[in-house]
Amino acid sequence: MSRSLLIISRQAPWNGTGAREALDIALAGGAFDLPIGLLFLDDGVLQLAVGQAPQAVQQKDLTANLQALPMFGVEALYACAYSLAQRGLSDTALAVERLDTDGLRTLIDRYDQVITL
Amino acid sequence: MKTLHVLSSSPFSDDRLSSCLCLLGNGDGLLLCGDATYAAQPGTQHGEALAALQGVALYALAEDIQARGLQPDVGIEQIDYPGFVALACRFSKVNTWL
Repeated sequence: MSRSLLIISRQAPWNGTGAREALDIALAGGAFDLPIGLLFLDDGVLQLAVGQAPQAVQQKDLTANLQALPMFGVEALYACAYSLAQRGLSDTALAVERLDTDGLRTLIDRYDQVITL
Repeated sequence: MKTLHVLSSSPFSDDRLSSCLCLLGNGDGLLLCGDATYAAQPGTQHGEALAALQGVALYALAEDIQARGLQPDVGIEQIDYPGFVALACRFSKVNTWL
């Protein structure tokens, strides 16, 4: 039985490599059939914003990678409701389960391992 | 499934500490190392937030506390590196806030 892994992604999408690295870990884990969960927290929820145009800053489209998550078997996708509200995001580019603080605690408890990037 | 959260960046330069405090559950642990030990300074907003925590075990790396000349409250247990390892083994998982 594989140990389950929760990845907490808390970096904004176009500032450095943190967001892409967290996503790469999730996709790699999914490709190896690990039970993976991905939580967007703090600035990480900005990756979920609708209508981003990364080509304007000469970056590759992270949203395309996000859409690939379910294809790689990563279907446990969560976002911190407070982080979303704080940043004025109501719609998200990807279907995620929104969790309050209690929900976040329960989520972390449920996984065997946690990585925060 | 209790978690040891490990912080190493200054609470005055980013929001890792405040986010972490929201996620701490009963029985979890919080270890401050490097610049995160500045949170242990009494009389600061972060020091007060730590003092107000309940059901969470607080630790700090003694050498990082000493190096910075900090005088943390008694509620924070100071440990060395072997203590760090023992602590990591005692919790069911470790979440390092990179």
